[in-house]
Amino acid sequence: MTTSIKQLPDIEQVLSGNGACGGCPATMALRIVGKALGPNAIMLLTPSCSVASMGMTPRLGYNWPCINICFATAGSSASGITHALEIMQEKGRLQGELPTVFTWVGDGGTYDIGFQALSAAAERNDNMIFFCYNNEAYSNTGVQRSGATPRGSYTTTTPSGKRQQKKNMALLMLEHNIPYVATATVAYPGDLYDKVAKAKSISGMKYIEILAPCYLGWQFDMPETVQMSRMAVRSGAWLLWEAENGKISFNKPSASIINGKKDAAPVDEYLMKQGRFNRLLKGPDAAQRIAEIQGDIDREIAFMRERAQITI
Amino acid sequence: MGKILMKGNEALAEGALIAGCQGFFGYPITPSSEIAEYMARKFPQLGGIFLQAESELAAINMVYGAAATGARVMTASSGPGISLKQEGISFIAEAELPCLIVNISRGGPGLGGIQPAQSDYFQATRGGGHGDYRLIVLAPSSVQEMMDYAIEGFDLADRYRIPVMLMAEGTLGQMMEPIYVREPVKPAIEKPWATTGCAGRSPNIINTLHLSPEVLEHRNQHLQRKYDQLQANESRAETFMTDDADLILVAFGLMSRVVKKAVIEARKQGIKVGLIRPITLWPFPDAIIKEAAEKAQMFLSVEISMGQMIEDIRLAVDGAVPVDFYGRIGIIPNPEEIYSEIIRIAEREGF
Repeated sequence: MTTSIKQLPDIEQVLSGNGACGGCPATMALRIVGKALGPNAIMLLTPSCSVASMGMTPRLGYNWPCINICFATAGSSASGITHALEIMQEKGRLQGELPTVFTWVGDGGTYDIGFQALSAAAERNDNMIFFCYNNEAYSNTGVQRSGATPRGSYTTTTPSGKRQQKKNMALLMLEHNIPYVATATVAYPGDLYDKVAKAKSISGMKYIEILAPCYLGWQFDMPETVQMSRMAVRSGAWLLWEAENGKISFNKPSASIINGKKDAAPVDEYLMKQGRFNRLLKGPDAAQRIAEIQGDIDREIAFMRERAQITI
Repeated sequence: MGKILMKGNEALAEGALIAGCQGFFGYPITPSSEIAEYMARKFPQLGGIFLQAESELAAINMVYGAAATGARVMTASSGPGISLKQEGISFIAEAELPCLIVNISRGGPGLGGIQPAQSDYFQATRGGGHGDYRLIVLAPSSVQEMMDYAIEGFDLADRYRIPVMLMAEGTLGQMMEPIYVREPVKPAIEKPWATTGCAGRSPNIINTLHLSPEVLEHRNQHLQRKYDQLQANESRAETFMTDDADLILVAFGLMSRVVKKAVIEARKQGIKVGLIRPITLWPFPDAIIKEAAEKAQMFLSVEISMGQMIEDIRLAVDGAVPVDFYGRIGIIPNPEEIYSEIIRIAEREGF
């Protein structure tokens, strides 16, 4: 059973005094992550919204020891910390349970510039949780496209809509043969909480990607973050799944879409709620553009359904 | 045509297009991103290439590849991103490929902040990456010069087969001023060295690996001769009221405009003070400074850093007169501050 929002513990690791936008999904998600991780953890932050909004240093809005690292190297710096902790424990200089080492990185720092360091850390199976909060663009620098930006989306560097499909980053991480991979989003906090709690209990590399609808980049009304997150899942544009030791299982409500019990909602409504799509859906080619986006989603659902059948 | 109001970053981007730039390869970073965004809007209409790379490393190496074909191409970034590009810049310098590299600079070290700074001076003027090489470094002080130096930068790059860096404070990238838009330039320099296929001729080779020590030394001597030539012919500076000055302030970029105002105010009080504004940070205008040092009694380097250009001023002055320093970082010193510093020095030294 998924933990309900009412059952989440009272622990607050995200404090007042951070500078995030109202309705910021990364901050919402981090709050849930904090409840699952508790205070015995070390946080790594690459240049991103979450580092720009962490508070006016030396004060910090996150109640963990934090290290602010280079954009390209979250995987490397986390590896450094985790190896140092392990050796200190081995030499008897560190007593008790080792702190959880986790990165809090945007999609640019995961899909693009940070991929090499992440891939290498995964290949070494270094002991960390790599979180990617995915707002599908470089929101912090004024919303430029990333490898996570879906086809058809406006960004300041794709003014007529991105022409390419996004990567399936979580699946790429699964193919690194790491012990745990999961996807989540803010509309399903219990699902996210359970996945983080599970990841914390597993040794080695864990990858958790959280879809983070950003009102500024996606151009919807600030209070609608959670609604947009839910619509992404119901339309199948974002699939909730997890994989322990390579075996994929889907979580509600994505499980119903995958096993055919329920159809994914047509993508139109989801797209038309967001300025990043609907501003480009006003011309005569609107139907074709929507069909392309729908085609990407349908293909991904079909592919992941088949991929989950492989259990060796 | 009359003046139009433009943002510094956009004027620079438009200047590059006026110069016939055919490709932009970049990666987002504040406060330079508007250059990439401008190119993303313009190039689809003009038929050039805008490509957002997956990293700074990728962007500069795309420039390396594209410049090897002889196309006029560029990238733009800010401090941390320029640091990431350094290996590529070293390769480009040794391969002698013309290109424009823009640093809309911010405060460091580390992630630092997006506030204005000139603390990438050493990185820009000493080569930045590994090996014995230099870049031409142009420092605009106005939005008009953002456009003009972008045009001139491409020309210098082609003429000398050298990467040219245009370095401006983030504030200059972000601020708006009325400017004259220049007429389009048609690049006229032939590039017989370009790698464009070899049908009907022998292949051109772009190479930076020299296993023979003699070839390695020869290559370095060749580059050095080019740098000597640049020092002799291309160092530039603006001088203001220096002829009879006891005290000469040296400042570049946006800082020089603030200093100029303070100089004008101090002159009203009868203090003999002047300004030298290096336009080329490399080659540094040594001769102009050296000549001024024959008459002036003191220099004051004013920088938005903890003191970097001051080393070049001291080298140029060569002990003839003392060189003092005034600088802040993240905050541009205002004219009143500089004026007070001039008064303080004038009273102390009896100017």
